[in-house]
Amino acid sequence: MAGSHTVLEDDSRLSKADRLFFKLESLLTLIGGVVIFLLVFLATANVLGRWLFSLPISGYIDWVEQAMAFFAFLGIAYTQREGGHIRMDMLIGHIHGRLLWFTELISTLLMLGVTLVLIYGSWLHFLRAYEIGDSSLDINLPTWPAKLVVPLALSVLALRLVLHIWGYARATRQGGERPVAVPLIEDAAAVAAAEAESVMGEQE
Amino acid sequence: MTLFETMGQMDSVSIGLWVTGLMLLLVVIGVRVAFAAAIAGFLGLLWVFSARMGFEKGFMVALKMAGTIPHSKVSTLALSLIPTFILIGYLAYHAGLTRALFEAAKRWVGWLPGGMGVATVFSAAGFAAVSGASVATSAVFARIAVPEMLKLGYDKRFAAGVVAASGTLASLIPPSAILVIYAIIVEQDVGALLMAGFLPGAFSALVYGGLVIAMATTRKRFGPPVRGFSWRQRFETLPGALPIFLVIGIIVVCIYGGVGTPTEAGSLGAFVILCMALYKGMSFADLKGALMETAKLTVMIFTIIWGVLLYVRFLGFADLPTAFSDWITNLDQSPMVTLVLILLAYAVLGMFMDAIGMLLLTLPVVYPAVIALNGGPDVTAAESAFGVSAVGCSIWFGIIVVKMAEFCLITPPIGLNCFVVAGVRPECSVQDVFRGVIPFFIADALTIAALVAMPGVVLWLPGLMGFS
Repeated sequence: MAGSHTVLEDDSRLSKADRLFFKLESLLTLIGGVVIFLLVFLATANVLGRWLFSLPISGYIDWVEQAMAFFAFLGIAYTQREGGHIRMDMLIGHIHGRLLWFTELISTLLMLGVTLVLIYGSWLHFLRAYEIGDSSLDINLPTWPAKLVVPLALSVLALRLVLHIWGYARATRQGGERPVAVPLIEDAAAVAAAEAESVMGEQE
Repeated sequence: MTLFETMGQMDSVSIGLWVTGLMLLLVVIGVRVAFAAAIAGFLGLLWVFSARMGFEKGFMVALKMAGTIPHSKVSTLALSLIPTFILIGYLAYHAGLTRALFEAAKRWVGWLPGGMGVATVFSAAGFAAVSGASVATSAVFARIAVPEMLKLGYDKRFAAGVVAASGTLASLIPPSAILVIYAIIVEQDVGALLMAGFLPGAFSALVYGGLVIAMATTRKRFGPPVRGFSWRQRFETLPGALPIFLVIGIIVVCIYGGVGTPTEAGSLGAFVILCMALYKGMSFADLKGALMETAKLTVMIFTIIWGVLLYVRFLGFADLPTAFSDWITNLDQSPMVTLVLILLAYAVLGMFMDAIGMLLLTLPVVYPAVIALNGGPDVTAAESAFGVSAVGCSIWFGIIVVKMAEFCLITPPIGLNCFVVAGVRPECSVQDVFRGVIPFFIADALTIAALVAMPGVVLWLPGLMGFS
């Protein structure tokens, strides 16, 4: 499971920017979650309609395919902020202080590089669909809105990565074990135990 | 000769090796797996096209190609199943299923020798299957089941071990997101994989249950059975535990009976669990929380899928999978020995990496090699090395690899489930949990050996559906 890592806060400009931006990321993720929720209802209605009344929803496949970009991409920056994209912590779990934050800085710069490339590439992909008026096979839904989601979500991710670069650069300069505004390194066992704690807490 | 000229003249297999080496280096220094794959994929495309048409033109071609992949690879109908399975998992927490299941299992199978242990195995298996989360299941049952077992006088090592091991029953019994991901990466039928997991998953649960009974009857001073429940008390527990059976039942019937697509089956399952959770008084805040968590995990999985598919796109230009297949099929040893070595490599890798990351990163190269070992993509069962057709081999290998990934969660010295249980239960040290898990570890190793030796167990249900 994609665990949440602790992100510390203080009253620095960096931390304020982090929290403000987190509101936008949370909203986008919630939209993604709601689209998943609607997908569940759509598919349920489709299968029940077909079984009970031989009446499936027209263009079901088109709707699902167009909806997918929304839940696949909108939460991408939120997941990065929470440290939810999986990685191997065999090495970085064993280094500390400046060296650790410098390694994180390099990783994040590389991620930003590929993200910028993909923003431009996916923008061109959107533009092509928009200009030729590309539409889905069954009920002719325009495909450009879903394609536009990709460069938009990746742009939000790029801004988040800039914030992380800021955070890691600051941590590299200042040293220390617990910098603000970046996901702290916690071992997977602690993350999973905390997650179980939170879901169980609600039941008791 | 400049570096660029040297790079431009390399053959495609060498380019493939360099780029793959770079990707592994990025993964080791802690770059998020999805992005390590995407960086390698893009740089690989850039390298290939720059060598053919110069840097500037090559850059634009690589950029356009890379830019289409995230959207086009993600917007495929088969993948829409994944968020429905994840939502089922998060809603299952809120539907009060864990306690209800444990209570039902206690009343129904508690009378067996080691009854509380058996009840833990089956309730954790049911919850793990529906939640799809091995580690979280172990953490949750460490809180519910371990105290009850200790109260009855069970050894704390056994109690911790049974909980750590039972969590690993998550990935084979439907619904299983990881089998869906495997099916999509290897372009196999999702329904066939989900069905194929059912028997080995149920079999693993029965093996665990049988093991607990055997330990209870042979060891002295084992915890007593829990007797004294009337049939009425037993039946009273069923409604609370019903959604688990409904969800598994709906998915199996829909897919096996062919009356709905896997996504429809997953959605129906999520719908049932949602009704149950609402009935149990799930608040709006809980629902919002479940949706956020679902969205986050979905994004994580989709990101790694498109990241890896970007790398796979590059692999199409670098003949690395073919070269690896050629190398592996020409090894001077029996294909079965090679297969076992591959599985052992997964056992080691799985200790350092999440199952999804491990499978997605390795399958693009390893899977074609396994198919080649068996005799190629068109081989019939009679002519093959492992006695299974090409389709059968791809299903069988998927089940074994996924079982292997779960096995890593209880493998000493770094099996994650054991650390989680020790973290949740202050009275158990990590050593205690590893000691307690040893019998289950051995049982799992034998189960995997049996699945490798008898593909028929895995392929029986898919065979009835016409996949053989």
